[in-house]
Amino acid sequence: MERRNFLQFSMAGLAKVAAGTTALTVAVSSAHAATINRTLYITEGYITQITGEDIYFMGFSNSTSELNIPGDPFIIHEGDTVSVTIVNTLQTPHSFVIDGQIDSGVIEAGTTKTVTFTATRAGTFFYYDKLNAPYNRLCGLHGPVAIMPRDSTNELYPGSPTFVKQQFWLFNDIDPIWNAMVENGNTPNTPFIPRFFTLNGLGGRPPGAPGYSDPTLNNMYDPRSYLKGSIGDRTLVRVLNAGMAQQAVHTHANHMEWLTSNGQIRPDIWLKDIVPLDGNGGIVDVIFPFDPPPDAWPPVTTGTYPMHLHTEMSQTAGGGFYLFGAITDIFYV
Amino acid sequence: MNDNNTTCYIYPDSPATPGVVTPDVTFDLGIDMNIPVKMDDGKKITMWGFTNDGSMNGGTFPSAPMRINAGTIVHTRLTVDGNMWNHTVHHHGIEPADHADGVGHITWDVDGTYTYQWRPMHAGTYFYHCHTNTVLHAEMGMYGALIVDPPEGPGTLVSPTASSSAITYDVESFWVVDEIDSRWHTLEWDAGTCGEDVGLHLLEPDYFVITGVDGSGTSAMNVASISATVKIGEKLLARYVCAGYHPQHIKFGGLTGTVYLSDGRELPNPIQVTELKAVSAERYDVIFEPTEVGEFIVTCDILDWITGNVLGTIKTNIIVTA
Ligand SMILES: [Cu+2]
Ligand SMILES: [Cu+2]
Repeated sequence: MERRNFLQFSMAGLAKVAAGTTALTVAVSSAHAATINRTLYITEGYITQITGEDIYFMGFSNSTSELNIPGDPFIIHEGDTVSVTIVNTLQTPHSFVIDGQIDSGVIEAGTTKTVTFTATRAGTFFYYDKLNAPYNRLCGLHGPVAIMPRDSTNELYPGSPTFVKQQFWLFNDIDPIWNAMVENGNTPNTPFIPRFFTLNGLGGRPPGAPGYSDPTLNNMYDPRSYLKGSIGDRTLVRVLNAGMAQQAVHTHANHMEWLTSNGQIRPDIWLKDIVPLDGNGGIVDVIFPFDPPPDAWPPVTTGTYPMHLHTEMSQTAGGGFYLFGAITDIFYV
Repeated sequence: MNDNNTTCYIYPDSPATPGVVTPDVTFDLGIDMNIPVKMDDGKKITMWGFTNDGSMNGGTFPSAPMRINAGTIVHTRLTVDGNMWNHTVHHHGIEPADHADGVGHITWDVDGTYTYQWRPMHAGTYFYHCHTNTVLHAEMGMYGALIVDPPEGPGTLVSPTASSSAITYDVESFWVVDEIDSRWHTLEWDAGTCGEDVGLHLLEPDYFVITGVDGSGTSAMNVASISATVKIGEKLLARYVCAGYHPQHIKFGGLTGTVYLSDGRELPNPIQVTELKAVSAERYDVIFEPTEVGEFIVTCDILDWITGNVLGTIKTNIIVTA
């Protein structure tokens, strides 16, 4: 196989933006519509998995020398004007789409395009490459978008229950055979059989495993993914599924307030320990309330609990490696 | 002493139970990893499960139900002995302290005896399952129903309040729907935990069960506690648990039910349903008040988590008499 001059990444190369917010696009002031400028580079490369195999990915990256999967979030407000310059460094056409907000159209190989839009609808969205669907998205060309209501910093939609923090859980499923077909310019023609499952681009590493305490390797230690709070630190989690499998999102310690499914506000807010997440682009919004775990005796206000997908195949990697899949921690501190 | 440590995973010993008090109720669980279950085609599938007397044999599939009233202090004492190696008990949907949560990698997997202490505060339908190498152990059948009754006890689903009367029922059914991939049922307890590809990413079920009974034919029809016989004027409570990993679509054979609770929490407004979709570990408590005599066939399709194709269907029935 001819290997083009691809970037070669270990998982450790990926998540280094996690701790900083330099690349995060956040409109700080909500009192006035902001103008936001950002450049994304469509890059490609191989990521070495826990099994040792190298898998081909593409990403919306912060520089030509990075491969960011998922792309860093946009956190903006209704009314903000957003200008995104997309530099397509690859030999294939791609696009930049936020459903209902912007569609760049085809960005030809090796070209650059700038698109500008005004955010019009509060909610949680993907930005993604809509071409060659769903393959380009599955291969990594996706990232999350939060559009906050105008002049609001603590609501999902006007009048929603309020939160004090927010973050994203973006899941993906990876079938190495499909990624290799896309790499070679072919359309996948085999059944989709995912062998790796990621949360915000990373799998888990259980205690004792190499990389256990490394936030760039272990999604249980990745500040983009884990929840950390004290009693009352209500956390909005915007949950997105770039993968193909229907998932069951499960939190321990507290039930979730289930606010939306696929952009629709639910008629009533149910308290659920399992929230269904559709495959192929499904989105739900939930609030993890950080109430004391109700069934503890004696009562407690601290502790460590998991969030995991209850569709347990997603907890594996490469057919085994339980706990190296889509999981993170919930820290009560 | 826990001697199962590997280069991939640490199995710390379990400590004494923090804050231990005298319980109101104790469940004494052991482990049985050789429970043959006969399917309709005559094949025997080996299931794993919990025993309800602390011993290492005599387990059933599913494991024996736990049933307690809200507000009582419960001990779940798990004993893992001999070559059964590590397991835990996680009371799914119950939210105790982490040391009572039974999640192996966050606290400890049990080799020996450990007592989980908890106090359920919300009535509803739950289930308990092993949380060691969970992908495999829960699929192998290490689960049982966990019912938290309101203080009034069985027969009441929701206690009365100042503004509303109690929600009660006369007859109760348990619809715990699960799929089985017989290929998985020859694996060791720690299969795949140290890097081997044992195919746990791929669940291709060939058997479909409801509350431990092969549901693909008629075996789960007219079976006590799964199917129900109810008189007109009586109320049937169906406790539905999606115990598999693939999504499910359950249809009530023409009957309309009212969902009052899901996942152990009351809905702000009950909903009327003739069918439900559910994903892994969701629970729905549905009350039926049939108004016409007849037999109603309840079906539940198990759907592939990627394609949505129907992988199998289980059936049971509700018989309504005058
Ligand atoms: Cu077990
Ligand atoms: Cu569970």
